[in-house]
Amino acid sequence: MPSDIYLAKRRAVLLQAAAKVGHSVTSILDPDQLLERVVDIICDEFGFYYAGVFLIENPLTSGKPAWAVLRAGRGEAGAAMVAEGYKLEVNGRSMIGAATGMGSAIIALDVGEEPVHFKNPHLPDTRSEMALPLMVGDADGGVRIIGALTVQSVEEAAFSDDDITALQAMADQVAIALNNARLYAQNQQLLARAERRTQLLAAAAEVGRETASILDLDKLLPSMVDIICDAYGFYYAGVFLVEYLDDEPSGSSSGLASGKPAWAVLRAGRGEAGAAMVAEGHKLEIGGHSMIGAAAGMRGALIALDVGEEPEHFKNPHLPDTRSEMALPLVVGSDLIGAVTVQSTEEAAFDDDDITSLQAMADHLAVAIRNAQLLKELEAAHAELLRTKTYEAIATATLEAIHWIGNKALPISAGAERLLQDLDRLPPTEPRRMASMREDLEMIADSAALIVSVQEHLIGPAREEQPRPGLAEDVVKDAAVRLAIPAEMISYAVAPDLPLVRADTTQLGRAFGYVLQNAVEAVEGIAEKRIAVEIAPADDFVVIRIADTGPGIPEGDLDKIWAAFYSTKGAHHAGLGLSAALQVLRQIEGQITAANGPEGGAVFEVLVPVYDSPLPEAALPAKKKVLLIDDDDAWSHFAEAALKGAGNKVTRSADGRVDLKPFDLILMDGVLEHADSRAVLEQLAAEGAGGKTLVVASGLRVEDAMALIRLGAKDVVLKPYTATALAEIVGEEE
Amino acid sequence: MMDEIRILLVDDEELVRRSLEKTLLRAGFDVETAESASAGLALFKEALSGDDPFDIAILDLNMPGFDGGDDPNAGLELLSELLIVDAGLPVIILTAFDEVARAKEAVARGARAYFVKGREAGLVELVNDIIAA
Repeated sequence: MPSDIYLAKRRAVLLQAAAKVGHSVTSILDPDQLLERVVDIICDEFGFYYAGVFLIENPLTSGKPAWAVLRAGRGEAGAAMVAEGYKLEVNGRSMIGAATGMGSAIIALDVGEEPVHFKNPHLPDTRSEMALPLMVGDADGGVRIIGALTVQSVEEAAFSDDDITALQAMADQVAIALNNARLYAQNQQLLARAERRTQLLAAAAEVGRETASILDLDKLLPSMVDIICDAYGFYYAGVFLVEYLDDEPSGSSSGLASGKPAWAVLRAGRGEAGAAMVAEGHKLEIGGHSMIGAAAGMRGALIALDVGEEPEHFKNPHLPDTRSEMALPLVVGSDLIGAVTVQSTEEAAFDDDDITSLQAMADHLAVAIRNAQLLKELEAAHAELLRTKTYEAIATATLEAIHWIGNKALPISAGAERLLQDLDRLPPTEPRRMASMREDLEMIADSAALIVSVQEHLIGPAREEQPRPGLAEDVVKDAAVRLAIPAEMISYAVAPDLPLVRADTTQLGRAFGYVLQNAVEAVEGIAEKRIAVEIAPADDFVVIRIADTGPGIPEGDLDKIWAAFYSTKGAHHAGLGLSAALQVLRQIEGQITAANGPEGGAVFEVLVPVYDSPLPEAALPAKKKVLLIDDDDAWSHFAEAALKGAGNKVTRSADGRVDLKPFDLILMDGVLEHADSRAVLEQLAAEGAGGKTLVVASGLRVEDAMALIRLGAKDVVLKPYTATALAEIVGEEE
Repeated sequence: MMDEIRILLVDDEELVRRSLEKTLLRAGFDVETAESASAGLALFKEALSGDDPFDIAILDLNMPGFDGGDDPNAGLELLSELLIVDAGLPVIILTAFDEVARAKEAVARGARAYFVKGREAGLVELVNDIIAA
């Protein structure tokens, strides 16, 4: 039985060792380092054979069995057991299990005889063991068990109940030190996270600042990927812009367009990899399986931490070192404009916390890109405006000049004509000289006539236009009949239920006339002379495609043909027809383009805007007997249906050779395919019906209108294509 | 044989006027010319009060008007003045433009025809048509 003095001395030594352990461990703030050191310190200070620290991993509240896991052990035995994942169930039958379960120290004096002790092959020399709970105070003033400490001695009965106080004091210090270290580590983690977020936001601001000043889209995107990589230290960054399905036919190069976003097209990428991918035309389907496609589709950021294992990630041979990727949508307001990818060579380089700051960066990019796009649009619009203004100024000056020249040339033609007549009347005394004079005079007359005709080609289309609803089919067919294109040479394929177009039909007929004239000249001397006209709806336009079997337009001339005075057809062409057609189409906000067909001939495509304004109610007269003189065509079907619908009796005739007396009103198309309208009108007038005959024409020309009026027509008016317009002309008969 | 047809031709462009005059003279008409609306009206009235009135007038549209300045409607104004003194006078309005609306306006004001300057032989045919009607 040890004496009191011995006990007091032993307690003093133990308390001193406990104090030393406490002193040593409280200064270690790194939890890993602390665990490593604490067992050595305990063994060294107390002279124990072995010490080990268990920490409870699963808190009891989780419902599963909680385990005390060995986190540090003295020497090779300890290292081996830690490596094995040595653990004991809390509240289990082991000493550690009991200490962690009960929260009090347990002593086994001869471990061989203690039933709770598990005989441990790693620690064969242990003869005494003490298990001490590691406890810390919690916020509620209670006590929380965080683990347990085992200390072991090679001596039997090395520990007494008296030792518990001193060793528990040591265990409490260790528990506090472990807890402090854990809290410290947590704080450090929070601090690091805050610092990272600050850094990322600072980088975002830097990207925003540096990109906002670049307004040239072509420079902005390549700079952007470099700025991102430099600011964040990323391995790679790439910027994709959205490509829309129904791009405008003109093709908006700045990327501002409407329609359904279809593809994210790589517009800039870091380094050689980026340049190679841009050159390849790398693009990803929006809403598809790629990260970019998915992020753009959802309009939300996506992270792939080990990209090799993410199914969303497209394994990219250009970027072999990528281990983490984040894809961020580029959105301005409600518009998706693209997406950006940032990639790191580190695994798990991004976490959910980074989304906020990187999305802030992406938002800066989106605004910078949109600004550059808007500026580009603005510049394009400005350039277009300047072109238009310049063109208008040139056109005005040209028109005045042409008008002046045309008027001055009138006497040249007339003078040459008179000289030719005089020459015919002279006696043929010097036939060779007279033949030469005749040739010269004809040259003068031809040249002057060309100059005079230029005046009408140029001034005609420049005249103020009066847009109204029209039937494209009727206008193009009238133009063909006026040009006397043989029916067997021209074919029509007209889509059913075409909408009305908005155009000045006189001007539009002029434009069709020029294009058809061009086609007629193209097939001259060709064995198979055919002109195919196709009319079909196309969104807000009606498209009229005029294809010929001629030689086509040389590729190099496709742009030049629209220039005034450009002609490939020799001296007798002023080269104004297509230029005039272009001018007409521009005025009615349509389009005209030329291309070569797959089989070689030229294909002109004329787009005329659809008339989409509401039409006022028509007040057509009723109970009239109307004779309609026209071919069996789209307009006569319309007029017949409209007049009949209002309660009139309508009789149709292709040539007017019917008894005219019963009719109150005769409507005659000024352009008849199977009869000469002047001859028909002469006949009508001869029978006294001229005064009730209205001649309608898709296009009006002075010469025709004056001739028909002088032949006795009541009036010559623009052909009505709506019931309202029809009522306006026949209503006058009331 | 009918008497020679007398034509009053009013146009301010000297060469155009002379050329038209020559063409009409060669077609067998008796032509007198004036270079402005006021000179044309004076000439017409003078002829009317004498024994030799004009049978037809051919008037340019754009020329010096009654106030002496260039007027795009001078021909129409002269047309109205001529019809006041000779209601049945056939008048042809000459113009450089193919404008149906103006042509119809001229006809509505009493012109017999509207001729777009170009082939002068066409004007001779037109005059013959009007006289024959």
